[in-house]
Amino acid sequence: MTFRRPAAYTGAMTFAQAAERHLDDVYGYLAWFTGDRFAAEDLAAETFERALRLWPRFDPKRGSARTWLCQVARTVALDHFRSERRRVRREQLSAPAERVEAAFAEGLSSDLERALTVLTPAEREVLVLRVVLDLDAGTAARVLGISPTNCTTRLNRALRKLEEALDVAA
Amino acid sequence: MSQRDLTAELRAAHTTAPPELRERIRLIAAAEPAPRRRPRLALPAIGWRRALVVAVPVAAAVAATVVLTRPSHNAPTASRGEIFRASVPQAKRAAAPSGAATGGAAGVVPSQKRLQDYEATLTLREADQRALSQASQHAQQIVASLSGYAQSVSVANGAAHLVLKVPRTHVQAALARLGKLGAIVGEAVHVTDLQAGANATDRTIARLQRQLRALRAQTRTPRVERQIAAVTAHVQRLQRQQAATARTAHYATVDLRLATKKHAAAPVGHGHGPLHGLVVAFRWTGIGLVYALAFGVPLALLWLAAGWVRRRREDVLISRA
Repeated sequence: MTFRRPAAYTGAMTFAQAAERHLDDVYGYLAWFTGDRFAAEDLAAETFERALRLWPRFDPKRGSARTWLCQVARTVALDHFRSERRRVRREQLSAPAERVEAAFAEGLSSDLERALTVLTPAEREVLVLRVVLDLDAGTAARVLGISPTNCTTRLNRALRKLEEALDVAA
Repeated sequence: MSQRDLTAELRAAHTTAPPELRERIRLIAAAEPAPRRRPRLALPAIGWRRALVVAVPVAAAVAATVVLTRPSHNAPTASRGEIFRASVPQAKRAAAPSGAATGGAAGVVPSQKRLQDYEATLTLREADQRALSQASQHAQQIVASLSGYAQSVSVANGAAHLVLKVPRTHVQAALARLGKLGAIVGEAVHVTDLQAGANATDRTIARLQRQLRALRAQTRTPRVERQIAAVTAHVQRLQRQQAATARTAHYATVDLRLATKKHAAAPVGHGHGPLHGLVVAFRWTGIGLVYALAFGVPLALLWLAAGWVRRRREDVLISRA
């Protein structure tokens, strides 16, 4: 039973065009979310592989390609976190987990870069979606699977925490 | 640093994908199949989960309706305690002219050899209050002329209800004559066979009497005396019961309802007015909705709970990442 009208057939945008246009956004989102640019590269590639498989199900009426790609990226990142958690558990006895130095974006001051490490991945995630990628509250909330109010609350908390971290550093 | 400056600096920052990654994505995108032409008659976008949420309760409602409205297999049978029912269809009833001989219901002939409980219901429509009053009196006269009597008579404004007792042997004649007192709106006959029960009671009485004879032949001890008294009482009780059954079977009950045109209401459960179809449709829609709700609400709650649990797990996962 196939009810879904493949949005890719609407002729609005091909997958290649969407990938070319939104690669930086997806990569940036993953870099901020994971705090690891190397992992973000692998996850971005995995995101686009998965997105290509799911592309016939993408419906532009329900949201932009960028939002949809961010949702796919989030699922991929969550899978990555799960597998990392299992891996860390396995290796916990042998050696402590290696700490990767976080690098979020180019053009950030070293103070801000340091302050960002204080935030949790959930807080960084809402920050990148709302501030860096400039998504509106509703769209960001849809990516995160929470209500817009909750999304705004989470953003305010993250900004306050970041501000405090910067004040402490100063 | 104010929040405004902070957001400005964050917005100014950019993350550019490395050229190797860009090349890798280009290779992935190159595997995209050529777009197919959009079908002319494309159906709206409904995910399989959404389709399932609707389809499952609807299927359950349909299944439940089919199961619950299936004709019962416990229909009356003509065996022990047999029951006969007959009624005239509404169309026929409506078309029956005043004074016409009663049709299907009166066609149920009472047995002359077997004990039966015979109940007939006759609904007649009268032209006006005067005709109703006359018909009520005539009905009592008819019954009296057939050696019967009126058990109860109730005449209200525009309607009368008479419960008439007629010897069973004359009930057909009574129904035929009563049917001429007005336009027949409805009639029904309900016959219950009492013979099988009476035969069983007769056998029990015969057995007890044999037992009684055997007890009387014994030496009269206090215990035997007590037994004789108990069996005698039992036999007497059964004989009284038999007599009552015979009396019941002797008379047929005719439930006669008379109403003027103004007050004539369609018999309960047979109101096939012009909006009958609409009423039936609404009723079934309501039943379907109740079933859909009964099945859909738990499913929706389950779905919401699953979503909540998933979000909680994700939050925990991200916070520990």
